[in-house]
Amino acid sequence: MGFVLMFSLPGAAQDRLVHGKVIAATDRSPIPGVNIVCKGKAVGTVSDADGNYSLQVPASSKDIIFSFIGFKTVEVEVGEKSVLDVTLEADITELSEVVVTGTGVPTEKRKLAFAVESVAAEKLPVVPTASIDQALVGRIAGAQISSINGAPGSEISILLRGINTLNRGTQPMILVDGVQMGATMLSSIDPNSIEKVEVIQGASAATIYGAQGANGVIQLFTKKGKSGNMKVDFSFGMGTNEFLNVGGVRKAQLHGFATNANNEVINPGDNNPLTQALTQDSATLVYSGNVGYDPLDPATKFDKAYDQNLKYVDHFRMFFRPANTSNYRVGISGGSDKMDYNIAVSRMRQESNFRNDGYNERTNLTLNIGAELAKGLRLRSITQLIYNNNTINIWDKQDFGLGGNFGPLLTSRPFADFSMKDVDGNYGANFGSAAGINQFNPYYEFQYASSLDKKIDILQNFNLTYSFPKYVEVDLLYGLNYQTRNFRHEVRNQSLNQNSNERNYWTYWSNGGDNTGEITVHNMNRIFQNLKATASIHFDFNKDFNLQIPLRSITQITYDYRSDHLSRYKSYALGMPLMPPLSSALGTTFNVPDDYKEEFVTFGYLVNQRFEYKELAGISGGFRTDYSSSFGKGSKPFTFPRADGFFRISGLDFWNNSGIAKTIIEWKLRAAYGEAGIQPRPFDRYVTLGSRPIGNTNSLYIPADQNNPNLNVEVSKEFEVGTDMMLDGLDGNWLNNFQFSFSYWTRKTDNAIYRVDAPPSTGVGTILDNSVSLESDGIQASLTASILKSSNWSWNLTTNFSKQQSLVAAVKGDTIIDGNRIITAGQSVGELYGVWLLRHVDQKKPDGEPFIDPTEQLNYEVASNGWVLNKASKQPYISPDLYSLGNPNPKFMMTIINDFSYKKMLTFSFQLDWLNGNHVYNETKQWMYRDGVHADYEKPITINSEKGAWSAFYRGVYSPSSNWTKNYFYEDASFVRLRNVSLGIDFARIFNIDKINKLQLILSGRNLWTHTKYTGMDPEISSYAADWYEGTASSLSRGYDSNTRPNLRTYQFTFFVGL
Amino acid sequence: MILTALTILSGISGCKDQLDIVNPNVPTPESAKTEQGIISFAQGALYINGNIPDFFVRVVAVHERMGDMIGSSQVPSEVYCPDNITLDDGSNLVSIHPPGQKDYLRITNIPSMKYNSFYPEWRDMYSLNNAMNTLLVNVDQIEMSESKKNTIKTWAYFWKGFAYSRIGSMYYAGIITDEPFMIINNYVSKEAILAEAELNFSKAEELLKSLKGDLEFTEALNKLIPSVCQKGKGFSPSADEWLRHINTLRARNILVNNTTASMTAAQWDDILALTSNGIKQNDNTFTVRTDELGNLLCTYCYVEAQAIGPDADGGGFAAKVGERLIQEFKTGDKRFDNNFRQITAWIGPQYSGTGSNTRFVLVDKGNGMAGVVVMVDVEVGAHELYIAGSYEENVLMLAEANINKGNIDAGLALIDELRNYQGAGLAATAGTGLTSEQAKEELRRERRVGLAFRGFSFYDARRWGFLKNGRTGCVVVDFDGVVSTNATIQYGYLEYWDVPVFEFFYNPPSADSAPLMSPD
Repeated sequence: MGFVLMFSLPGAAQDRLVHGKVIAATDRSPIPGVNIVCKGKAVGTVSDADGNYSLQVPASSKDIIFSFIGFKTVEVEVGEKSVLDVTLEADITELSEVVVTGTGVPTEKRKLAFAVESVAAEKLPVVPTASIDQALVGRIAGAQISSINGAPGSEISILLRGINTLNRGTQPMILVDGVQMGATMLSSIDPNSIEKVEVIQGASAATIYGAQGANGVIQLFTKKGKSGNMKVDFSFGMGTNEFLNVGGVRKAQLHGFATNANNEVINPGDNNPLTQALTQDSATLVYSGNVGYDPLDPATKFDKAYDQNLKYVDHFRMFFRPANTSNYRVGISGGSDKMDYNIAVSRMRQESNFRNDGYNERTNLTLNIGAELAKGLRLRSITQLIYNNNTINIWDKQDFGLGGNFGPLLTSRPFADFSMKDVDGNYGANFGSAAGINQFNPYYEFQYASSLDKKIDILQNFNLTYSFPKYVEVDLLYGLNYQTRNFRHEVRNQSLNQNSNERNYWTYWSNGGDNTGEITVHNMNRIFQNLKATASIHFDFNKDFNLQIPLRSITQITYDYRSDHLSRYKSYALGMPLMPPLSSALGTTFNVPDDYKEEFVTFGYLVNQRFEYKELAGISGGFRTDYSSSFGKGSKPFTFPRADGFFRISGLDFWNNSGIAKTIIEWKLRAAYGEAGIQPRPFDRYVTLGSRPIGNTNSLYIPADQNNPNLNVEVSKEFEVGTDMMLDGLDGNWLNNFQFSFSYWTRKTDNAIYRVDAPPSTGVGTILDNSVSLESDGIQASLTASILKSSNWSWNLTTNFSKQQSLVAAVKGDTIIDGNRIITAGQSVGELYGVWLLRHVDQKKPDGEPFIDPTEQLNYEVASNGWVLNKASKQPYISPDLYSLGNPNPKFMMTIINDFSYKKMLTFSFQLDWLNGNHVYNETKQWMYRDGVHADYEKPITINSEKGAWSAFYRGVYSPSSNWTKNYFYEDASFVRLRNVSLGIDFARIFNIDKINKLQLILSGRNLWTHTKYTGMDPEISSYAADWYEGTASSLSRGYDSNTRPNLRTYQFTFFVGL
Repeated sequence: MILTALTILSGISGCKDQLDIVNPNVPTPESAKTEQGIISFAQGALYINGNIPDFFVRVVAVHERMGDMIGSSQVPSEVYCPDNITLDDGSNLVSIHPPGQKDYLRITNIPSMKYNSFYPEWRDMYSLNNAMNTLLVNVDQIEMSESKKNTIKTWAYFWKGFAYSRIGSMYYAGIITDEPFMIINNYVSKEAILAEAELNFSKAEELLKSLKGDLEFTEALNKLIPSVCQKGKGFSPSADEWLRHINTLRARNILVNNTTASMTAAQWDDILALTSNGIKQNDNTFTVRTDELGNLLCTYCYVEAQAIGPDADGGGFAAKVGERLIQEFKTGDKRFDNNFRQITAWIGPQYSGTGSNTRFVLVDKGNGMAGVVVMVDVEVGAHELYIAGSYEENVLMLAEANINKGNIDAGLALIDELRNYQGAGLAATAGTGLTSEQAKEELRRERRVGLAFRGFSFYDARRWGFLKNGRTGCVVVDFDGVVSTNATIQYGYLEYWDVPVFEFFYNPPSADSAPLMSPD
């Protein structure tokens, strides 16, 4: 986003002409647009596209000041020189950096009254998935950005300040170059096309985004070309990934099944010694009977080897494999004083780490072209075309299946050899209940089913700006974001598969009626448009009105229109021919279960007035008013007020004149208040009937889940205070600069929408209502330090810290109970409930009563594993009632980033992420306990003086209370993770290769090391999404490991060539 | 108190803000305000709001599990796990969740476990009742002939009667509610609920009498019943057939809500009178069938379909054929030969309850014996399921009333009639000089066999006293594959269920409400 500073050009005496060139110290590239003024005089100019300038310097002038945003201002004595070349150093203070997100009008950070996080894209790590969202993990102070699923193409989960809504997830609004990206996923954006990222985290800053800005805003800025010669960049990278398994999850290598004298596992229903050993039928692949297995029998131990008729099969080795990622990119950029361009094409491919389970492939084309059409009139067009091709099986996709092949594999008994083929060469779906109740063979799935998910995304932004000679700038932005997604899942006819016929098992997606196959086609289209017209009016009371008041006024008036059109069409055909080709047209039955359109329009006005007193202080206030189609034409608009202010203590004269200013170079205090909304979903307010075809008629019915015509927008109110400081450190090379930012925020959502239960006698299941009040507060802080800075060496340290909590303030009516979550006043949002296993025989309930009646306590003791067990049954004590297990959200998050550089030839950096107090419910483990396959079953425990790998304990943890949530599986998932480590060598600098700006090799590793107590594969994952198009950041279902694919450990090299 | 948000649906309030954007994807309440619309709504009120798939796959299945007709291969639930089984060798198998089902059910009837076993039948029946209430409110506002309106009202009162019958036959207390979406906090006893069922049946009866021979009645009813159901016994019944249907359900309400020991002669007289004028062999009744897309009922969404299994592993689905069903077949009963196959004993995991171990599987489409009933056929639309009454049920109630009235041979002749109807190929029992006790035993076995998988076994186990007193002479396969033939099962099951927490948590009872918990 460009903006132009204006000068009143003087008609002063002309004494002599000085000219020269301004270049950047970093890459010696010319800097256009540098303000060049004679000190103390109203004489100045601006450098041109090649960094050249010429200036008539009055005879009385001694010094010339060169200033440009992002660079340290330089004052040069002109003397008698007529040629004056200047090199500008980047301003590492960043306080002079200009931000636009949340401010509307570009504003220097030093004058901001609320926290805006900004990250230059070049500082983001190279990530194997080449996605901007992955690169942001840990990089934004205050934000919880987590990689929650390792399946290729998965989205990350973003939680900015607090959980403010239950209805629509925590996903913030994403803006690209000023306009909302409403159709494309953040993970689709090529990070190399991004210049920088700005984040505002809550309502106090997001009011200007109105009725849907309450979750905060992430804004991406696309790279522009710089004037000068054309630059060409290539990069090429390859990586290898493997699933993390930090908890060492595996299956038990011993078993406790009934065996005969030869240690052969037998079918207990067969009393004939000649046939009772289990065998697998070569035609059907089915075992000859069930195993004899009584895990609750106090005598059953897991101490028998798989050494006879059944052999141990390592399912993890069978299906988890190292897989590759590759990245290619070509970019050209350049420009002149009238126009600039930046064009790039990139391609990323990531294979699944689950054998035979497809890949994700993405191609991005980015075009950013700017032109000055006339003086003061600039047009910019930014285009991103994204083609995404994903063949991951539908059951495994984050937005559809949530781990469909992972779960059945994890719970299969470890003697099932899924690679076995029958006499016809086919895989078997299910080998009979001997091999596990929940087993399903992934090889079978991949033999008969294939998925192809194709997405095309278009982002087109136009930006027209016009600067009137004085006072007024007009900025017109239009963005079109289109996504078309074609999802096709083919299931072949399996009716010749003997195993399928024998077992009545088959694969399907849409309709599981029989094994004759199906084709499902999903077509989804979304068109999102955003139009913004902004007029900003600047007055300087001194200059413009000749008043002796050092006051500046900035008025912003914006009209903002957004529309969202969404359509889905899903069809499926059943009954496929036995031979290819497969086509929906060849099916015997055809159905359209989904034909859906959704339209949403919102528009509103923003008025904001800002006053700045010198460089010392500023205040602003304003409001935004939004109409929304969710509320119909006749409805009133929602209005959200805002106000903020800053005071730069370091801007006071006494401060500058005192010695403190030498140590505390910059110190600002700030405060902001704002309100912003979260819309109900477009049709949440419309009461409808259901309709379903039965035979040749359509039935109308009352939907169990009712909408509510009285729903309101959820309004989130936020207040934040903060401070930004810059400290001068030690003299010399070490510790010479520190920057510190701190914010405290508190916010409240009074009318969060949530489905509440109705008593069943009303005939209704649930009704949507503004039913919950939520309160959050937190702090965020960041510290950037220059540890070492010398001519050859630099070492910078960045530390981000945040802490937040979200509480339920009130619940309309009564407590809301939703599965294992109970929403009640005073507790954390997302708190889990479950039954308790005990640590002490006389342990007390929260009400002070003992869990176990004192007369019964002698039947229990604490076993060697620390849990209270019944001495006779060897089963754990399990409370009949549910109690809070705790709040799974982390207590605090911290990221430490170190960047080292030697002469810019050699760079080394690493990032450590620390989540403290994070908890995950290990449901994956619970299900492996249920099916008796978890390696824990091998662990001997001592109870009642008897030592053994007693299955009664392990199975007892799961049963008899069946699938309830339990404290046993609620685990501390705090972790410290070496998120990223990278070593770069720039051969162009080492060998001083002419005409090559960059010839850099970067060796990087991601998720190489994790320290955690969590016993699952990865403490960072979480299973449940809000829904497939709302993004992945569910408000309530956080910290749930439910057969979710772990993140990946990656080793990667990337070559960058810059010409 | 009315849920204000829902007033539009109830049809009471008129057109609301016309300015609102309409959701283009689904109909609005206005769609139901035409003749065609109200007919579609009446259809959906039963087949969709009545939660038909849930009714067969959860409600009927739970009755059949607790009635010890089927076991479960997967679901470890104490709901179907008898408190104790004494095997032939004297050893005992105790419930995996001591002390047993009653306590288990009650400790799960807490707010955090609102989707517990008590919930599905209550939810399905009140959802059905509310849809019929809404139908009754709306039908009078629509321009259509009186005959058609009365047909729809008959439909509504009949199904309300059915819903109250099931609530009153399963739960210790219930709620009477006639206004759409109304929260009524006055809980009444099961007896009052059954009286309300009768009230609705009699309203339907009155209307039906006026609709006899009315062509518009037939035309409207034909449209209410989905085309997929209109075969076999599923064509629309005539007014007379429907009246007989009501009598069968009235008889059922008496029969299943009294123990055999406590039945009075007057009650047997009532049943005799009602079933004498109850569903006849060729009467049409209300049936459900699977359809291609599963929109009405999916292929495996009923308990018989879940009990089939062609392999030595006892089948792939959730239900296992109970040994206590198989033992009821008399030697030579072709219904057994045509529908079951013996396998190497399938031994389930112990935590799924002892009842699951079995040596039998149900055979899909039967074994091809001509003229013999086929108990399950998963071919789309092939299998007929009865929502409410059937000839088979009626004839056995008539037989039981006769036997209990001392007309032993008349009763036995009816049992023979049913056996012949189902192709059992068994010798006639009438005229063989059986004592009253022997005749009752014939009847007991025939109810198990002839009405298998129809959802009567829990009621029967309750009225025969098995739930309270246990049952001897049971066939049980233990976990070593050893078959006991004279095991004793102490079920200890709750006879009438408590009101589910899902209801009373969100709808606390008024001070003068009847007790919500059964005194068991």
